[in-house]
Parts: sequence; structure tokens; C-alpha cells
Amino acid sequence: MLTPYEKILFAILAAVSLYLASVTFRRMIRTIKRGRGRLAWDGLPGRLLTGIKALAGQNNMIRNRPLVSLAHTGIAWGFILYMAVNLVDVLEGMVTGFVFLEHAAAGQAYRLLVDLMTLAALAGMAALLIRRFIVKSTDLAVAPNVKLHPRAADGIRRDSLIVGCFILGHVGFRLLGASFDIAIHGPDPWQPVAALAAGLWTGLAPSFLDFGLHASWWIAIGLVLAFLPWFPFSKHAHLFMGPFNLMTAPERTSPGTLDVLDFEDESIEQFGAGRITDLDRTHITDAFACIMCNRCQDACPAYATGKELSPAALEVNKRYHLRNHMKSLATGGEDTEPMLGYAMSESALWACTACGACTEACPVGNEPMFDILAMRRNQVLMESAFPNELKGAFTGIERNGNPWQMAGDRMEWTESLDFKVSTVAEHPDYDVLFWVGCAGAFDPGARDTARSIATVLHRAGVDFAVLGNDESCTGDLARRAGNEYLFSISAEGNIETLNAAGAGRKKIVTGCPHCLHTLGNEYGALGGRYEVMHHTQLIGELAKAGRLALPGRDGTRTTYHDPCYLGRHGGVYEAPRQALAATRPSLVEMARNRNRSFCCGAGGAQVWKEEEEGREAVSDHRFLEAWETGADTLAVGCPFCARMMNDANKRAGEPMRVRDIAEIVAESIQDEQQRERERERHDDR
Amino acid sequence: MNIIALVKQTPDTAQLSAAMDGLMLSADGGPRIVNPWDEYTLETALQAREEHGGKVTALCLGPPEAADALKTALAMGVDEAVLVSDPAMADSDSLASARILVAAIRKIGDFDLIVGGRAAIDGNTAATAVQVAALLGIPLVSYVAKLRNLDPSDRTVTAVRLLEKARETVTSRLPALITVVKEINEPRYPSLIGIRKAARADIPVWGCEDLGLDPSGVGAGASGVVWRTELPPVREAHIEMIDGGPEDAARTLVDRLMEEKVI
Ligand code: SF4
Ligand code: SF4
Repeated sequence: MLTPYEKILFAILAAVSLYLASVTFRRMIRTIKRGRGRLAWDGLPGRLLTGIKALAGQNNMIRNRPLVSLAHTGIAWGFILYMAVNLVDVLEGMVTGFVFLEHAAAGQAYRLLVDLMTLAALAGMAALLIRRFIVKSTDLAVAPNVKLHPRAADGIRRDSLIVGCFILGHVGFRLLGASFDIAIHGPDPWQPVAALAAGLWTGLAPSFLDFGLHASWWIAIGLVLAFLPWFPFSKHAHLFMGPFNLMTAPERTSPGTLDVLDFEDESIEQFGAGRITDLDRTHITDAFACIMCNRCQDACPAYATGKELSPAALEVNKRYHLRNHMKSLATGGEDTEPMLGYAMSESALWACTACGACTEACPVGNEPMFDILAMRRNQVLMESAFPNELKGAFTGIERNGNPWQMAGDRMEWTESLDFKVSTVAEHPDYDVLFWVGCAGAFDPGARDTARSIATVLHRAGVDFAVLGNDESCTGDLARRAGNEYLFSISAEGNIETLNAAGAGRKKIVTGCPHCLHTLGNEYGALGGRYEVMHHTQLIGELAKAGRLALPGRDGTRTTYHDPCYLGRHGGVYEAPRQALAATRPSLVEMARNRNRSFCCGAGGAQVWKEEEEGREAVSDHRFLEAWETGADTLAVGCPFCARMMNDANKRAGEPMRVRDIAEIVAESIQDEQQRERERERHDDR
Repeated sequence: MNIIALVKQTPDTAQLSAAMDGLMLSADGGPRIVNPWDEYTLETALQAREEHGGKVTALCLGPPEAADALKTALAMGVDEAVLVSDPAMADSDSLASARILVAAIRKIGDFDLIVGGRAAIDGNTAATAVQVAALLGIPLVSYVAKLRNLDPSDRTVTAVRLLEKARETVTSRLPALITVVKEINEPRYPSLIGIRKAARADIPVWGCEDLGLDPSGVGAGASGVVWRTELPPVREAHIEMIDGGPEDAARTLVDRLMEEKVI
């Protein structure tokens, strides 16, 4: 189709474009390589499959913002198809007389597919541009109290406009080209959209049509040549960096499992992330993969309650920092700017509840939470600069083995029970080790829960023991607060205790999702491998096996709040509901449930400090959602959720009953016993 | 500016509980911490150094395991640490301890400021630092809640003392000894880099011989005070829960407190 001169020109332009693209792409790769660790490449076929699946299935993006995601799917599929289309078009242009699968049925199908996908891509792109620039969807805005790179606000708009125009131009001119082709060569029933457009040219001179065909080809392909080197600077890079990020994601025992630090190696002088180059490579890749869609921000409890934190802004700020320094970073230049400053404010850093909602929501597999925790590590281990209240909790773990700084007896909670709870020392042949946790041992509310768990286990005839005063804080709060050193000391001590108690050969049941997560998912990397379950899982199993006589309470309406560390981080959603169902309440779900559950506000060491400045307390926000279900009982499965929800309940004038599932089950058992006694009395008479 | 921080290691009284009896707390191998008041001592010294430059030396008198307290001081950031330890020094009373500390301070050499805590939580005499100042013949400013002005060039220090019912602003010449109360600052949490540096540090231990002290002039034999550890008598406690809404509960509580003649 092209004239010889055009062919030469194209060859030159293509070479220049490819060369420039190789320069910028290499720069991006080298920048990623400034990060620590390696990208995961093991089991490549599986990883490739992950990438392809993510591309084709759009990584389940549809579950959040369905309409927008549908528009995006149109663009994405259209664009993926266009990679092949561009090759075909270049071949058709460069090889005189070549027409791809001219008369074959496959060719007809190809043309039909391209024609329709062109329409889908154009419609999708137009819809998204209208949403951003005309409707000005607030989903795409970031609150003014959140730190945003000075270039970002305008930059994102400009970038989006350029990308949008690029896609419209590229796909649109390809369509026009096809329409000129039809006007020249006659109708093609397999390209209905292009045929419709061809109607525009009826009656025009053949020379004009020929000019139109060439011009369209040049604009469609020329845009690609022009855009190629610019990819790494544009958010459009997510097209391949997104799947790449998902493909190279590290294996983790749970979505919230942090990596351990090596404190033995004296040559390591930086712990945690002070600068962006201290991040893992996968987390630098995150910034290149980010689409700036704010899905993580929508899910973030800190952002929703007006704190200075937005996980999306963090990724955007990282991206702009990298973009501005890419040349220097790629060539080994030192980055001197601390992340705490341009990436987020100090208040934002300490507002994160480590709930993992951002990671769960992100369609390209970004993990903003990991950056935040890495930055906290830097603040605690290197700078010793963190909210003062946390010091008390740290000192408590160090000296008293619990963050409350309580010097009490870890068996005191058992005193009011009408049966004896044995320690491992007294009863080494136990079947199940009940890990009570600091809350269960010291917090008045959680002690009730611990007693309920013990009562349920006792009634069901489970042979269990506790560690008593040998138990010590798992270190979860220290870890989420950035004090990895204290976590490692706590973990080592507990692993020793657990191994001495033979817990590796038994089952461990915890009364707290945070203990569950640390013992079950995080101690493994330090050599402590245990089979750990949450008390609601065990209770569910017991109920199913008919080992609990549960009459249930008719007429109660209950809603269940999924704890972050049981749900998103532990993947346990149904067991607590089953345990609860055994007491036969009518269960109503909150709008945000299971993997979309909204944090109670306690996690990430928040409960040990004052909540950061914001519009409202995270706990009040969540409590309102529970209240709005119309339920009378709010069932929880975590001592910290219980505390947050109880406090919020009190502030709201106690419209609900907040109870741990174990308490609800234990109450139910007591009811049954009561009835039994009454029946006996009745029979005696 | 050369600053000496007096640091003592004490039993961790916060660990006293039903699970740990009082004798175990003070026995060998019981839990030990930096005297909580001395955390403020160290913070004061470190802040002064950060402002005026110079060097902070932490000085501790105690058994060999008291070196741990100095490790904490090093982890927090002091430049040097010296442990004064000798079996002959065991059971020294505050005056004998002060004599030993003064000998050590003289051996350390030049100083502009000595900082101590208001008291140690074990003996609770609040006397040692006073006696050190007296023996050195330098001014003492006790119960300092705020360092208003520390001026090494003018060689003065202006401090706000926290008294029972008042605050008193005092200016003294340097060198001087100040003792601090917890209102003065918020002690820092050691960074990991600090902890690592402390773990590697070699802490010199000075005995009677190093200090040119006659063993018979220190320790129990040279002390007027005899130490004996005894548990306090067990107190009968009675817990009463008051039910009702906040207002009713408060009213009942007030009535009960008046009944018991607490208020
Ligand atoms: S972990 Fe939770 S609180 Fe932290 S940034 Fe992510 S969504 Fe927000
Ligand atoms: S991190 Fe993920 S969810 Fe958040 S804005 Fe970027 S792409 Fe969207």
C-alpha cells in the first residue's frame, strides 16, 4: 500500500522510535533494579499464566466499580487486540499487495472482531474521558489534606488526557483507514462499523480517498511510534507493568506476611525504607504499575475517615519521584530525598491500620501497605522517631511480655471458672493448645471471651491446655509498628516456649486473629511451624460434629464484622459464620463484608496510640455500618475489634450488643443447660 | 561541653506481681532495668550534647551485671560508659557510694555538667547525687523540670525546679550537678543502630585500685546504713463493683468514699 518513499520513511522512524524506547525502557528496568531483593521468577510458566489471566480477565477488576471496569475492559481488550492489528497493518503497508487472510473465513472473522473491538475501545475510552473531564468523578480526586506530589494533580490529568487522546487517535484513525479502504475497494459486510463510516466519503474523488487512506495509516501507526518511548513516563505503562507486577509477585504465606530482617549481618546498615531505593524491587515496580485509579483509596479506612493517608497518593508520589529522578537512579545516582516527606506525611504514616484492604482492592497487585510498614521500620529502627505512646507498649512487651505493661498473673482470668484450666506444665499430654494472648490474659472484656472459649472447649470435651505465665506477646503490634527487632526477640522466645511445649505436633487455637496470623503465618520464617486455627474455626468444627448442644436464640438479628487478620490476611470467612449459624440467629450482612470488610480501627498498632487527626474515628464509621443493618447483636471475632466496637457502641448510646462469637456460643450453651435443669425439675414433679 | 550522666541499675519493680514475689525481685538474677528516673538523666544529657556539642559519659556504680544499664545508655547514644564495680564496694550506703563516684568523676577528668535522676527507685534516698555535689564542692540544682538556659560560654545554667507547691527558677555557675524529674523530657527509645553499637562496645570496669580507693573506706564496713530486704505486709483488699448509670454510680462512689473517710 505504501509508496517506496513512505516505506523508507517508515523504516527510519520505526528504528528511531524503537531505539528511544529501548533507552527509556532500560532506564525503567534499571530503576526497578535499584530496589532490594529480587523479583520472583521461579516457576515461570505458572507466572506467565498469571500475567495472561490477569490481562484477559482484567484481574477481577469488575468487582469494584462495575461500570467503569466494563468500559476499561473494552479499551483493554481492544488495545491488546490492536497489538496484533498494528503488526498486520504494518505488514500490509510495507508488503505491496499483501492483505491479511484476504478471502478466508478466518480473515472475515478477524475483520469483524477488529471492527467490533474498535467500537468497544472507542466507546470505553470516550466514556472514561467523559467521566474524568466532564463529569469530574470524585473517585479520581484525592482529599486536600493528603500529601500529593506538586506535579501530580495536574500531571495525572494531563497524562490521562494524552493517553486518552492517543487511544482515541490511534484506534479512531485505524477505523478511518478501514473506512477509506472500503470506499476504495467496495463494501465489506464483515466491517459494519467501518462501512458505516465509509458512507461519509461517498462522492469524493479517488485521489482524496487514497490520500485519506495513507494519512490514516500514518497517523494510526505514527502515534504508536511516537508514544512507544514515552511509555515508561506515562501511567499507560500499567498496560504491561500491571501484569508484570502480578507475575513477579513474591510468594507469601498470607497477603500480610512481612519479610524478616537479618539482624545478625553486621554489614547491613539500613533497616526499613528511608529512601525509595530501600524498598523491595517489587514495591518499586508497584509505582510503575499503578493506574492511579484510587480503588485502594476507596477501600482504605484511614482515608475514608479523613486521615492524611491515601495509599493511592503514596503510589502516585512514588511514581512522580521516580519519574523525576529516573535518569540519575538508572545510572546509580544516590537518592537523598527521604520518602517520609514527598511520599506521605508523618501523620499518614502512623494512620495505617495495616488492614490490607488496599492490597486486596488493587487490580495490578500493588501493596501500598508494605511500603508503609517498611517506612515505619525505618522510623523505629533507624530514626527512633515514632508516636510516643507506642514506647509504653514496646517497653511492656520487652519487660512484662505484654503491651499493657501489666505485671499480673496470666492465669487470673481462669479463677472465676467452675472448672480448672490446666497449664502445659501440669498437663503435657494435651490435644489442643489454647493460646490465650495478652488481651485474653489482661483485658477485662477479652477475659470474658477467653473464659467463653475455655467453657466451650470444656463442654465439648476438648482436651486442652494453656501456657499460662510462659506465654508472652507474639509481637504483632511491634511488627506492624515497625519495631521488627522487638518482634524478632518476641518471636524467638515464643518459638522456644512453643517447641518446648510440643506445640509443633499439636493443634494451636487462638482467641485473637493477630495471634493467629503471627503464629500461623509469620513464625514459620523464623523456624516455628505450627498448625494454628482461630477459635471460631474450632467452634464451627465442634458444632458441625454435634459436640455442642446449641439451642440458639430465636429472634436475634446478628451481623458479623470480619476482622482484617482473620479475613483478608487469614482467608477465613465462612467458619465464623458457620459457628454463629449454629446458634441460629438471623444473620444480616453489612454492605462491606468478607474480603471487603472495613477495619475496626485497631490494627497496625493503632489501638496502642491516639488515632491520627481526621474527620471521624474509624471505629465509629464501622459501627454505624453495623448499626444500619438493623441487627441487635454485633458479633466479632477479635479482642481488639471487640474493644473498638464496644467503645463506639457506648458513644452511640449502646444501641447494640457487641459480643465475641465464643461468648454468643457459650451463652447459648448455658441457656441449654438452664433448660435442661428446668426440664429435670419438671420431670421430678 | 563534657557531661557526666549518673546512672543506676535497679530492680524492675513494675514486674512485682502475684507471679513474682518481692524477694525474687531483689535477688540476684531478678529483672533489672535502668533506674526509670535515670532515663530522664540520659535524655537530658543527650539533648544538652545535641545542642552544644561535646561528649556524654555515663557513669554507673554497681555489680558486674549493671553493665547492662550502661549498654542501654550507649544504645540511647552516650559517647562513653564507665562501670565502677568491686566486690569491696557492695552494700555501700549513699555517702560511701558518693565517695566512690567522686573518685570516678575525678578520674574521668574535666566536666561542665553532671546530671542525675531525682532518686533511684530501689533505695529512694535521693541523697547520693547531693552528696556527690557536696564532696566535689560544686553547686547542686535538684528536681529540675526544665533547662531554661544552658550556656557553656557564659558558664552558667538556668533551670526551673519543680517544688511541691511552686516552680523556682535558679541560675547557677558551671560546673554544677543537676538532678532531674520526669517532667523535663521524654526519654528516647534506642534505635537499632544504637543497640548494635552498644552490643559491640567494651565498657571499662574500674575497681578500688583503679580509683586509688582504700577498700576499707567503701562498702558495708564503711557505711552507716544497713540494708535488709523485707516484704511489706499483705494488705487486705476488698473490691466492690458499683452498678448503675454514670451519674448514679458517681453519686454512690462519692457516698462510699465519704463513708470510708477517704474524702
Ligand atoms: S493497609 Fe489499610 S489502612 Fe493501611 S493503607 Fe492499606 S487500606 Fe489504608
Ligand atoms: S495502587 Fe492499585 S488500586 Fe491504588 S491507585 Fe494504584 S492501581 Fe489503583
